[in-house]
Amino acid sequence: MTLNASTSALGLYCHVPFCASTCDFCAFYQEKPRRGDLLRYFEAMEREFALLPPDRVVDTVFWGGGTPGLLAAKDLERLGRMQLAALVQPPHEWTVEMAPSTVKPDKLAVLKDLGVTRISMGVQSFDAALLESLGRLHNPKQIYRAWEAIEQAGFAATNLDLIFAIPGQSLAQWQADIREAARLGPSHLSTYCLTFEEDTALYVKLAQGKVRIDEAREVAFYEAGWQLLDELGFTQYEISNFARPGMECVHNLNTWRMHEWIGCGPSAASQYAGERYQRPSNLDEWMRGMWTDAAPKQEQVVLNDRILLADSLVFGLRMNEGVDFAALRQRYPAAGELSQLEGLIGRLLEEQILTQAEGRLRLSPKGQLLADAVGTEILEVV
Amino acid sequence: MPDLHHTRNFCIIAHVDHGKTTLSDRILELTRTVEMRDMKEQLLDSMDLERERGITIKSHPVSMVYRARDGQDYAFNLIDTPGHVDFSYEVSRSLAACEGAMLLIDAAQGIEAQTVANAHLALEQGLEIIPVINKIDLPSADVPAIQQQLEDVLAIPAEEAVLTSAKNGLGIEDLLEAAVARVPQPRWAEVEGLRMLIFDCIYDTYKGVICYVRVFSGTVKANDSILTMSDGMKAQVKEVGKFSPAMTKQDSLQAGDVGYIVTNRRDVAEIKLGDTITLTNTPAKEMLPGYKEVSPMVFSGIYPIDTSDYNKLKAGMGKLRLNDAAFVYQSENSVALGFGFRCGFLGLLHMEIIQERIRREYDLDVISTYPSVVYFVTKTDGETIEVHNPVNLPDPAEIDHIEEPMINASIHLPSTSIGDVLALVSEKRGLCEHTETIDEKRVMLVCRLPLNEILVDFNDRLKSITHGYGSMDYEMAGYEQAKLCRLDIMVNGESVDAFSSIVHKDKAEGRGRALCKRLKEILPRQMFKIAIQASIGSQVIARETISAYRKDVTAKCYGGDISRKRKLLEKQKEGKKRMKNIGSVSIPQDAFIKILKTSDGGSS
Repeated sequence: MTLNASTSALGLYCHVPFCASTCDFCAFYQEKPRRGDLLRYFEAMEREFALLPPDRVVDTVFWGGGTPGLLAAKDLERLGRMQLAALVQPPHEWTVEMAPSTVKPDKLAVLKDLGVTRISMGVQSFDAALLESLGRLHNPKQIYRAWEAIEQAGFAATNLDLIFAIPGQSLAQWQADIREAARLGPSHLSTYCLTFEEDTALYVKLAQGKVRIDEAREVAFYEAGWQLLDELGFTQYEISNFARPGMECVHNLNTWRMHEWIGCGPSAASQYAGERYQRPSNLDEWMRGMWTDAAPKQEQVVLNDRILLADSLVFGLRMNEGVDFAALRQRYPAAGELSQLEGLIGRLLEEQILTQAEGRLRLSPKGQLLADAVGTEILEVV
Repeated sequence: MPDLHHTRNFCIIAHVDHGKTTLSDRILELTRTVEMRDMKEQLLDSMDLERERGITIKSHPVSMVYRARDGQDYAFNLIDTPGHVDFSYEVSRSLAACEGAMLLIDAAQGIEAQTVANAHLALEQGLEIIPVINKIDLPSADVPAIQQQLEDVLAIPAEEAVLTSAKNGLGIEDLLEAAVARVPQPRWAEVEGLRMLIFDCIYDTYKGVICYVRVFSGTVKANDSILTMSDGMKAQVKEVGKFSPAMTKQDSLQAGDVGYIVTNRRDVAEIKLGDTITLTNTPAKEMLPGYKEVSPMVFSGIYPIDTSDYNKLKAGMGKLRLNDAAFVYQSENSVALGFGFRCGFLGLLHMEIIQERIRREYDLDVISTYPSVVYFVTKTDGETIEVHNPVNLPDPAEIDHIEEPMINASIHLPSTSIGDVLALVSEKRGLCEHTETIDEKRVMLVCRLPLNEILVDFNDRLKSITHGYGSMDYEMAGYEQAKLCRLDIMVNGESVDAFSSIVHKDKAEGRGRALCKRLKEILPRQMFKIAIQASIGSQVIARETISAYRKDVTAKCYGGDISRKRKLLEKQKEGKKRMKNIGSVSIPQDAFIKILKTSDGGSS
């Protein structure tokens, strides 16, 4: 490991595992909130925060879930204060995810006051019928009301999440969603092709043959989305992420650049001090574990230069900045024999899946659509 | 002194399913060789596979005593012989151990291809033939018609036929009386010195190699020093015995006896069927007639589907070989399939049986490559080499000519399907040499065909054309020069050895096109465009393209999500592990299986 811990950025991810309901596409760990659980959750989070390295500056914070915005204003405040107390200094960037139905002015005021810089709202679509087909609890009216409140609270950065290639969605509907999102004026947009992950209601529908995956259709949605977003002034910096100049999500960028991050909360993953691990997904198991001496680590992987080099490529190539392969080799000198990888890169360049310019490798637009296949091949040879 | 007057050695020969094993069982019952309560259906076919397929693979001799109507006891030795053309040499050796043959014919189905082939084999061995018309209890039985066929096709007088229903025990005693009266007493007993024919052998874990023998002259007992006359190898006799029907130790075997000997030999490969055994100190002057070396006719690669099964497969092959000297194998390495074995078989059925036994008895999943015959390739420098693996075929420029093995096939079929069968024969590059009428409904075609053309689907198609009524038998009929070439299949420019085959030039294009098309259906799309080409040498004769897939990306990839994401990719990677990489293309293992199972490789 040559990762220089003291100069590398450190991120903090907090998992708020509560949701009001389960969306059909969501595979994240979440539970319906009960007051007792919430109180125990806070106590355990306090324990987790206490484990944060006392001498490291946390550069970015990301609260995800579940639905962090589901917490009441006073609970948000409590969690935020606990966290700030554990940090050396306030983070430069602090994102909180919110669902439209949970956005309330009092919560936003608390968050603003805590120092939250960025609100990310899961709009998904502006089309009532499509929202319903996704099993979302909000309607378009709630989106507009929530957005108005966010604007009034005056956060430095805002993001809206959109989902596309929803069964029944037309290309025109997708373009209309993008236009509508852009019209609201967020500094950042994330667009996600609907995926069918195991353990989701949608996956069940797929398995039952009620919905179908249509590759050509998905490709068309991707391409149309990219083109329109570009026209609207949102620059793509990762396969699914678009921002006004300088408004990229630094927390995510740092993660993809294989810097360190610490996850707090059930199911939260960490990459820290030479290893990667995850907290137990189950709320009770996680809480019990936090009261024992050793905070429970699951799926622990000891990182080495080879793994980190592979992951730097897999995740780095998803970003439009791509990767500086020569620099990566210097960063991970102990990665070992890489001739197979070089062969693969050569082949991918030949097939114009990768491009090379100014020492950086990047996925071509065609390659971006094949990022997983490229990632799989990289893992095969590294 | 042996009582030759009261000894009868005979076998039962028949087409598949004409009731041979049931008849043997009835004979055993009638001679009280086994008590009824010990009778197991099809006692003699002891191998599972034999029972299931209703075929006999190994010889099963049994000794019994029959009290005839004349009040005297006769020693009967019945040898149940393998009934398939692949084993015709083995059959001929089993027949050579006898003086008589019961030629069993199904009263409803009549004379079939194997009936004729087996009758000819028996006549060649100088056996007395007792025709038996069996299954006379069937409603569809037509005894007069069968008797007519006997006269017309085999020139056997109709009145010689014994009528039986083995199922119901009808006519069995008449048949045994016919054996007493018509099977000659043991021959060549007067020749000086021990002469003993090896007609089969098995491997026993405890005893080692057990040879099944027929003693023609002299006496053999334990501790005798013996000699196999084909190679002059010596051995020590450890035990002699008879089949009653279980192996039963005896003091000695004498002229006319059928039994077994155990020697100090441990390897079946050292035993040659048809060899003559004599005593080392007082050897006989001459071998028994008919011995020849057998060599495999059909070759195929056998590979474990799971490469970690290689050693298990190797062990299984070794064990099969212990009991089957005609099966040969050697290790082989295929780029596409990994480590496996090149195996030689006597013929198609033999190949199928070995493959099936590997699957069943050793619980192994195996994949077999396209079968090949043995070609004689004469190179431009005058050297002639044997090639049974397409990969070993020299460069076309180095080949002067290639000769391929031919067969003479006799095909029995209903006269209504004659046109379709002739078309099949000609599609398979065969020539019909003459046609013979068996009766008003059935004909026999005598054809000359290249052996490689019947390797894969000939029999299936014959059965389907004739609605199951056609049957075929064949014998090897030398070599002929032919326009042959190697057809290679290339995936993105890289030749896939497991898909190569030697084909006739006129058929190469069709087969190449069909294989490409099939591969296109089977291969999953990948990140790159895949070109599938069929080629002869450097000339591409068929081509298909599989377009690259366009999307394989998951959108969502949050910070904490990296472990999850990596797991997804690892899962995809595991899925790809079961694929073989040919150049840049990953080919799933089951694609090989599907292609190789495409019965004719798509030539039709």
